[in-house]
Amino acid sequence: MRFISYILALLAGAALSFEGAIYAELGKSIGQIETSFYNFFMGSIIMGLLWLFFGKGKLSYAVEAPKWSLLGGLLGVVYLTSIVISVPFVGVGITMVAVIIGQLVMSMIIEHFGWLGSKKTKVNKEKIFAVISMIIALILIN
Amino acid sequence: MGFFMILFTLIGGITLSAQSSINGTLSRKAGTIETTFLTFLSGTMFLTIFIFFFGNGDVLALLEAPKWQLSAAFLGTMYLLLTVMAVPRIGVIATNIAGIAGQLVIGVVIDHFGWFNSLVIELDSKRVFALLFMVISLYFIYKGNKRSNEEAKAL
Repeated sequence: MRFISYILALLAGAALSFEGAIYAELGKSIGQIETSFYNFFMGSIIMGLLWLFFGKGKLSYAVEAPKWSLLGGLLGVVYLTSIVISVPFVGVGITMVAVIIGQLVMSMIIEHFGWLGSKKTKVNKEKIFAVISMIIALILIN
Repeated sequence: MGFFMILFTLIGGITLSAQSSINGTLSRKAGTIETTFLTFLSGTMFLTIFIFFFGNGDVLALLEAPKWQLSAAFLGTMYLLLTVMAVPRIGVIATNIAGIAGQLVIGVVIDHFGWFNSLVIELDSKRVFALLFMVISLYFIYKGNKRSNEEAKAL
């Protein structure tokens, strides 16, 4: 059963690469911001339906929540738009490596300082080795 | 141009990790589905404004775009669902690392064959070494996170 879960997680990652490649193509014909808009628009409909049928949380908490915790959507827009713009220039491989490095390094920093409501987790030497290997990978793949 | 694009994409990754911390905080009180819904909804609102002021493309061309290109919207949802299924069984760290591995491998495969009309970039020995270093890096991340968790438990 654990084995199947690893396959599911692998497929999840694969879905992101497929998404990047396909949106890059859509971006060439209808525009990059427009492609991001389509993704978020469709995503709102899909998640809206999921929420209607399966939502168990409290949507109205958005009104009381600290305002900074509502910025996730804007950050997601920056991420998706950067992928749609970058893939046609450098390909899916480099784009994904760069995104992953930005993501992993930043989450280490966020966790190290306990920013944005995250649990404080110190950077250790294993994580430093990980960052060095990632940078070597980025130099090699470019 | 390539260097600039890579820098730009690194920023994309940075915003994504900030997003997951922020959404993690919000979802503890609002719920997972609710947080994802709010993320997409507010993203749509921001993009509507951006399109009015900076859009050079044609939103209405979506109606004529090939359906296989539009189906990419479900891939993002698939990612969420698959992740939610895997996390309770193998944990967040293992799920993320397996996810990244899948993303990297499919990324270079798409480049190699030029699927979806993308740039054709051959899988040469340099790229294989790059992947190898990414695997080493993921291994260290796994180790590093495991150690942080053990230290947190020991306290």
